[in-house]
Amino acid sequence: MTRPGLRRRLVLAFLLVTLLPLFLLSAAVAVFLSRGLERATRDRLEAGLAAARARFAALADRARARVAAAVADDMPALGPGDDDPILHEIARRRDLAALELLDGAGIVIASHHWPAGFGLPDRDGLFPDGAPYRIESVASGYGADERLAVVAEARGRWRGRGVVLRGGSFVDEELLGGLAALMGLEVGLYDEIRGRWTLPAGSRLGTWTRPALGAARGEVRLGDARVRWAATALCRGLLLVVAAPEAALEQTLNEVRRLALTAAALALLGTLGGALFVSGRLARPIRELAEAARRVAEGDLTVSVPVRTDDELGALARAFNDMTAELRVSRSRQAQAERVAAWRELARRLAHELKKPLFPVQLSIETLRRSLDREPPPPPGEFEALFREASDTILQELRSLARVIESFGDLARLPRPHLAPTDLSRVAEQVLGLYQPGAPQVRVETEYAQGLTVSGDAELLARALGNLLANALEAMPDGGTLRVRTLTVPEGVAVEVEDTGPGLPADQMAQLFAPYHTTKPGGTGLGLAIAQGIAAEHGGRIEAASPPGGGARFRLVLPRPKPS
Amino acid sequence: MKPPAGGRATLLHVRLRVLSRLLLAAFLGAEAPAALGPRYGGELRVGVPDLPSSLVPGPAPGLGPRLAAGLVHETLVGLTSDGALAPALAASWTAVAEGREWALSIGESARFHDGRPVTAEDAVRSLRTFLRGPGAAAAALARALDGGAAFRARQAEDLPGLAALDSRRLALRLDAPAASALATLASPAAAITGAGGVGAGPFVPDLLVPGQRLVATAFAAHARGRPYLDRVRVTGSFGPEELATEAHAGRVDLAAGEPGLEALAASLLLILDPRRPPFDRPETRAAVAAAIDRAALVARLVPGGTASTDLLPPSLLRGPEPPRPPLEAPPSRLVLPDGSVVLAVSRDLPPPVSQRVLAHLTALGLRVRVTAMDAAAALAAPAELRLLAFAPEVPEPGLALEELSALAPSPRAALERLEEARRETDAPRRRALLAEAHDALRREGSIVALGHAPVRFGGRGRVHGARIDAAGRLVLEDAWVEP
Repeated sequence: MTRPGLRRRLVLAFLLVTLLPLFLLSAAVAVFLSRGLERATRDRLEAGLAAARARFAALADRARARVAAAVADDMPALGPGDDDPILHEIARRRDLAALELLDGAGIVIASHHWPAGFGLPDRDGLFPDGAPYRIESVASGYGADERLAVVAEARGRWRGRGVVLRGGSFVDEELLGGLAALMGLEVGLYDEIRGRWTLPAGSRLGTWTRPALGAARGEVRLGDARVRWAATALCRGLLLVVAAPEAALEQTLNEVRRLALTAAALALLGTLGGALFVSGRLARPIRELAEAARRVAEGDLTVSVPVRTDDELGALARAFNDMTAELRVSRSRQAQAERVAAWRELARRLAHELKKPLFPVQLSIETLRRSLDREPPPPPGEFEALFREASDTILQELRSLARVIESFGDLARLPRPHLAPTDLSRVAEQVLGLYQPGAPQVRVETEYAQGLTVSGDAELLARALGNLLANALEAMPDGGTLRVRTLTVPEGVAVEVEDTGPGLPADQMAQLFAPYHTTKPGGTGLGLAIAQGIAAEHGGRIEAASPPGGGARFRLVLPRPKPS
Repeated sequence: MKPPAGGRATLLHVRLRVLSRLLLAAFLGAEAPAALGPRYGGELRVGVPDLPSSLVPGPAPGLGPRLAAGLVHETLVGLTSDGALAPALAASWTAVAEGREWALSIGESARFHDGRPVTAEDAVRSLRTFLRGPGAAAAALARALDGGAAFRARQAEDLPGLAALDSRRLALRLDAPAASALATLASPAAAITGAGGVGAGPFVPDLLVPGQRLVATAFAAHARGRPYLDRVRVTGSFGPEELATEAHAGRVDLAAGEPGLEALAASLLLILDPRRPPFDRPETRAAVAAAIDRAALVARLVPGGTASTDLLPPSLLRGPEPPRPPLEAPPSRLVLPDGSVVLAVSRDLPPPVSQRVLAHLTALGLRVRVTAMDAAAALAAPAELRLLAFAPEVPEPGLALEELSALAPSPRAALERLEEARRETDAPRRRALLAEAHDALRREGSIVALGHAPVRFGGRGRVHGARIDAAGRLVLEDAWVEP
């Protein structure tokens, strides 16, 4: 994995150092604030429970007082008439929304809130232990509603018989809604016996279908919101529940979080800007040094880096510049030495190549001179034969000398390539067509890829390829297989020439492309050098390989043309 | 019957009528506000629980739909308070072939609201539509007419039993003499309409807001003469308390359910579905029938009503009431399966009646959910229980019993007696057969009568001449309002 750059690492380090404390601080503030708000909510729920409980106790007390007053004062005072209107009148006077008169057997004589129940047994829903809470049927539309009431009852006499007057008020939406508005909480009553809620309109507690209210407090998710609740029993089976949606708490916490995030974002931006500026100033000389070093590595010794400071980086820049200056001098000396060496080598080669035919020429001439000066003179015809032989040798050597000179001329005259889009496969096919007829003993296998276009000089490439083919065919005088193929390689495209000849000696591989290096009798040793020169002129190269089992493989690799 | 308004004849007629009413009032010592007698003009505002969504003729159960039908439409014949046929669009009728063929003559003055005369072709077309529509009267007429059953079942388009003889006369040919065949034509569903559904009733509809409001103006060319009122404005979709409030505040002149006009025209019926538990057990049905204290219910909650176990209103029960077998004493509490039953209640009923029935059912151990709906919906509601103020489509005993027998699966004995009664032309024998059918229906226990309830319309007392007919319909044809 590539390590990030110096500047990036510097920026990350800056960010880490700056943001970590900020995040820790924000988290600590959020935690402390959350705990404080939770404590405040719990206190508010407890206070709400106490207030609501007191309100229901007050309702029971009021019902008790009003029913007692109705029995003591109203029932004796109201005269004859139908039961229903009389009961309605008592209910109006005493403000008792729930009021019913029952005989000693529990049969409803008259009912203010459920007039249809007269003459039938009272079927209110009860809570244990004589609690002052009941589920009453209440006339509603064409049917009845069941509503929770806080009631009290008192015994009295009515039309000469003992009766029970029961009355009170309903725990209606108005009552619960008023309590909820007063306390800023949701208030509800849960009837555990019948599994139903008494709630103000719109209370989300109604969506709590199976409340687990065993504990005194807790929290529950109702719809989209979390709700904290507290509960207490008004009597067995009837629970008073107050609840506070966590929305307010969550809103405060969210605001704190939002503030922390905003601060963090601003700090992040500030730190990022500062880190970029500082790291830029720190990393710039190092980057310049790295770039200069890269150029030096590529051979450009003219490069130098500016010296901006007197600190360690400035000293480093100065040392680099001194180093490149030293390298320039050193390279100049080396180039001169190499040129001298090259000239010496060329002179040596030239002397060797020129001296090689001169010796037979000299020897032939000396032989002729000795024959001419011999006493007695050779018999007639002998000198002519000797002369013919010697002159043949001299001519042959002179031709050899001329070939050497011509080869040197070729090497010197290698023209600059005229680059044009060239189909490498087509060039290979054409060149092979020239050479193949001269080697009928060789079996040829070809494999040409399509679309291998290079930017090259077709004539020069053909010459280079011809040299490779000639070498390969010459390596198989007794027959063999020549494989020619064009292909795509990672560096570009290539044409490959492979023979099944004796192969290349390992000790010759290093000198393979040196001029005048040859292993063939009569070879000039310039063929591969010329081919390599052509490849270099095209920005390519020639690779040679000789597997252990024999045979040689030459690959002319050329770059793909750059898109215009 | 009033002559058409307009022209010298009309003016003379009005003067004579006012004079005669003045004399009558002076003779009878009528109340002071009405002593001036009827007068043309004015607007009457009526409040009802519900109104129809269209004015297409139909059985029109419910106070509002029945009122609307009577205002806008006219039938060939009507029925008097004692059940006799009365002329309406048909001025006269004659029977031949021992009562198997009837020829009805449409009156010369019968016209639609667009002024076109009512023709026999209009009557035939309207009755063909009627015969294929809902309602017990249509079914009864189809059974009686030659080819009527096949036509009603859409098995044939030909209807040989109904034909126009000429532009003013049409003929009804029956398979056999049928006592109540012509009475079916008094059904509001058998109203005669012209092209595009135009009616021939005493008022021309100006505006119908479906289910909420109907405004209609007097039809000057009505067959029985122009109504006194210029305009009737009927408002529906009131709850019972709202109706009382509207009446007391004077925002309506007549409100359904308020004291004033009343006629004992409806039966309070609790219909139990014997195909569904728990009412599939006869003992459960019997227990429900016996558990309801009818006398207390009617005495305290149905002013003007009478406790009864008879299924039909008293106006349809001719002759002395036969002795009824006593109902068995109910168990104090039934053993019932879990789950609740639905009680569909017609909004025509006073809510306390529904609440009282609910209290009784609850006391028996039933868990009941109450759903209020308009009368037509309550009649057809697929509920285990239905509570209705039943006013028959046609106030004729045989047709009313047939209508009843269609409300719940009926015992074979009842259906057989009804079939015999259809063909019986001897009035005493027919009455006896209907009484047997009635008792068979009652004994089945699926239809439980709780009493008879008056159809009531009342207000602040400035309305005169309105009446409630035997079908429980408010008739405003002769109504007038004090200035």
